[in-house]
Amino acid sequence: MKLSVFVLAGSLLLPAAGAFAQGINDAQIAAIVVTANQVDIDAGKLAKATSKNAEVTKFAQLMITDHTGVNKSATDLVTKLKVTPEDNPTAQSLKDGGEKNVTALKALKGAAFDKAYVDHEVAYHQAVLDAVDKTLIPGASNADLKALLVKVRPAFVAHLEHAKHLQSMMSK
Amino acid sequence: MNRSSQSPARFAAALGLLMCSMAVAAAAAPKPKTHTVTIDGTRFQTADLSVARGDIVVWVNQDPFPHTVTSKAGGFDSQTIDAGKSWKYTAVKRGEFPYVCNFHPMMSGTLRVK
Repeated sequence: MKLSVFVLAGSLLLPAAGAFAQGINDAQIAAIVVTANQVDIDAGKLAKATSKNAEVTKFAQLMITDHTGVNKSATDLVTKLKVTPEDNPTAQSLKDGGEKNVTALKALKGAAFDKAYVDHEVAYHQAVLDAVDKTLIPGASNADLKALLVKVRPAFVAHLEHAKHLQSMMSK
Repeated sequence: MNRSSQSPARFAAALGLLMCSMAVAAAAAPKPKTHTVTIDGTRFQTADLSVARGDIVVWVNQDPFPHTVTSKAGGFDSQTIDAGKSWKYTAVKRGEFPYVCNFHPMMSGTLRVK
């Protein structure tokens, strides 16, 4: 289960390799950032409504709050820069993957739900961090957009560590 | 000597002495300083801050999401500091106070009150 979740989350960002080999523009990066945050907000809302585990619901609320804040910042910035987010294969894959994850989670309950949600959060944050480091930050042309990505990156690391902590608690 | 004629002079001398002593006291007690810790990029900057007792510390949240400034030993707790907001604390108690953000426990800092 854990491996399949990891592969699924990792594969969400695989189209990036081909698309970004030819370069990526700021409008595409904006679409990826907004989608990546929204995917995690949606999963967080489901987890908050479904889980009975206090630690899981606390984490889910943190994901909703933080990613909503990042999205507001990103949206404010692209509005200021007059950049219209441009859909692209990576943003689309993220969206599709997020929808599949939510559908899969809806079929689960109790501890099975908690484990699947947390496993996916670990894999997802790792995959997003890889994309931030290897593609989005190096690919951003606008200095403010690059700065925003650098600024929010440590929060994603904190989320990953938090999710890993939950994962290790659940495996005991 | 007439007592009533001495009173105004004595009063003036006493008042002068009092004002001098107040001025000395004011000079001896330095005015509290205000220190700013920026919360940016999910980090406290400066993370390790030394202040004098009575100084004011202001944590300014420049991140797009909330944080807290929470002393592990229970010395102080800001509760939620929303994005763009700040929290002010007067360092009344001497000591070393390690603190974290309750939402992002990997964020840590230390306030040293001398």
